[in-house]
Amino acid sequence: MNNMMFGKYIPIDSFIHRLDPRLKIGSLLLLLIAVFFDAGFLGYALLGIFVIIMALLSHIKVSQILKAIKPMLFMMAFLMIFNLLFIQQGNLLVSIGFIKIYDQAVLQTLYIFIRLILIIVMTTILTATTKPLDLTLGIEHLLSPFKRIGFPTHEVAMMISIALRFIPTLLEETQRIMKAQASRGVEFSEGSLKEKILSIVSLIIPLFISAFQRAEDLANAMESRNYNPEAKRTRYKQLIWKISDTISFACVIMICSVLVIMSFVL
Amino acid sequence: MSITFKEVEHTYSVDTPFAYHALKGVNLDIKKGSMTALIGHTGSGKSTLIQHINALLLPTSGQVQIEDVLITATDKPSSLKSLRKKAGLVFQFPEYQLFEETILKDIIFGPKNFGVSEEEAIKIAKDMIQLVGLDESYLERSPFDLSGGQKRRIAIAGILAMNPDILILDEPTAGLDPQGAKEMLQLFKKVNQEGKTVVLVSHDMNQVLEYCDDVVVMNHGRVEKHVTVAELFKETEYLTSLSIDLPIITSFILELNKNGFHIDPSIKDINVLVQEIGGQLNE
Ligand SMILES: Nc1ncnc2c1ncn2[C@@H]1O[C@H](COP(=O)(O)OP(=O)(O)O)[C@@H](O)[C@H]1O
Ligand SMILES: [Mg+2]
Repeated sequence: MNNMMFGKYIPIDSFIHRLDPRLKIGSLLLLLIAVFFDAGFLGYALLGIFVIIMALLSHIKVSQILKAIKPMLFMMAFLMIFNLLFIQQGNLLVSIGFIKIYDQAVLQTLYIFIRLILIIVMTTILTATTKPLDLTLGIEHLLSPFKRIGFPTHEVAMMISIALRFIPTLLEETQRIMKAQASRGVEFSEGSLKEKILSIVSLIIPLFISAFQRAEDLANAMESRNYNPEAKRTRYKQLIWKISDTISFACVIMICSVLVIMSFVL
Repeated sequence: MSITFKEVEHTYSVDTPFAYHALKGVNLDIKKGSMTALIGHTGSGKSTLIQHINALLLPTSGQVQIEDVLITATDKPSSLKSLRKKAGLVFQFPEYQLFEETILKDIIFGPKNFGVSEEEAIKIAKDMIQLVGLDESYLERSPFDLSGGQKRRIAIAGILAMNPDILILDEPTAGLDPQGAKEMLQLFKKVNQEGKTVVLVSHDMNQVLEYCDDVVVMNHGRVEKHVTVAELFKETEYLTSLSIDLPIITSFILELNKNGFHIDPSIKDINVLVQEIGGQLNE
């Protein structure tokens, strides 16, 4: 909990940090789609190398990327076990009692593993190199074409930026309450199932109460300053598209096209 | 010696760009049975320091000894639970830790975690609720219907119910009305007089003067002074340099002395002061 890395901005300077947020968000979307085209191990190797280059360019430490993956491991393990057991295609590899594992299942599971790792690493690179405010600004810009059909672009962007803004606050609050309950003898990592449930309850309830309290305070504070979501706004911060952005975007498109073509050819 | 810190360092988020060196070479001996105030600016490391006393935080290096339990960077005490019971910590704004449906359940939550039986815990809860100045009828009410100050009393009752040997309080009177604050401090003094060690983080020098024996001054993650209350308030220049205000009564005495009186500045009690002034006026 103390070293939660996922989704955290890392305030350093790098090539990736300086890229336009619109480019980074757009690229992530394209790459996420590309990940799901089945381009075989060769394709994933290609994408893997590309992601490693991005990670290197972003100056994020390997340890920090590993920390982002760690909290997901449990969920991944869960998914993978289910896949291994329930896909029943191809040749039977192992059979112990009712457990039967097929070679297709192993292959599919490996694919899922690679996909998930790629997705987590790419997302981490985006959030680690883009300030939450820039992220929202980028999202707002990208959504702006939908304004014409009545989509509440600004409201959505505001909601996202408020949510992002409060993630660290909620994490801090979680830590604070965990410590307070630990002082009252709660051991979050030990005990029987019943004790575990009670310890989670002792964390969740105060957390929700304070989150609702915060939400109400924030709403009141905004309202008392006459916040109007529909008002026309100007921006202090302007996004400027640079040559490096164009070149980067070209690279992303190239990689994605190669992957898509490979998935059809192979 | 009941609480001992030896060369304790603490760095938050080690090995990340967010690393922050919050405690720097802290050496400290807090006497058993004393009521010790911990003062210093916001961000000087007070909350960090006290969380080492019940091992919520482990030192990055150095060691902390709580009676017979030794805490260092590498070896967590084998039984955290007994340490948490020994040193009860009341966080700042403890009202946010309440979660049960009734106040009774919330107060007995701590004792039950430490293995006290339900009946025994209920008995303790009845004593504690009165100790913090509320009556037994509150026990069946929901903690969320109370005022902020009442919630805080319940939270403190919840810690006192664990019957800790050491009571640590992080700014317990922040945001309370003066009367409520006074009652809280009288309660802590009473607990102290029953033989418990009390560590009190406070910004109010009047409280420090009136209720505490010793003072620890923190500044930028270091312990700068550990003296008796009387000695601390003699060092007016030092306190001014930290922009810490003197207690009202002390600054009043100093003002009088500037104008020809000769009054002992360590007087704490208003009645003693009045007599002293009267005596000197008659001379
Ligand atoms: N969980 C944390 N992570 C990183 N830095 C922290 C954390 N908690 C406190 N700090 C920093 O450590 C310093 C000391 O904080 P704290 O002990 O809370 O001070 P005090 O209680 O005296 O106001 C502050 O500068 C604060 O920003
Ligand atoms: Mg503090």
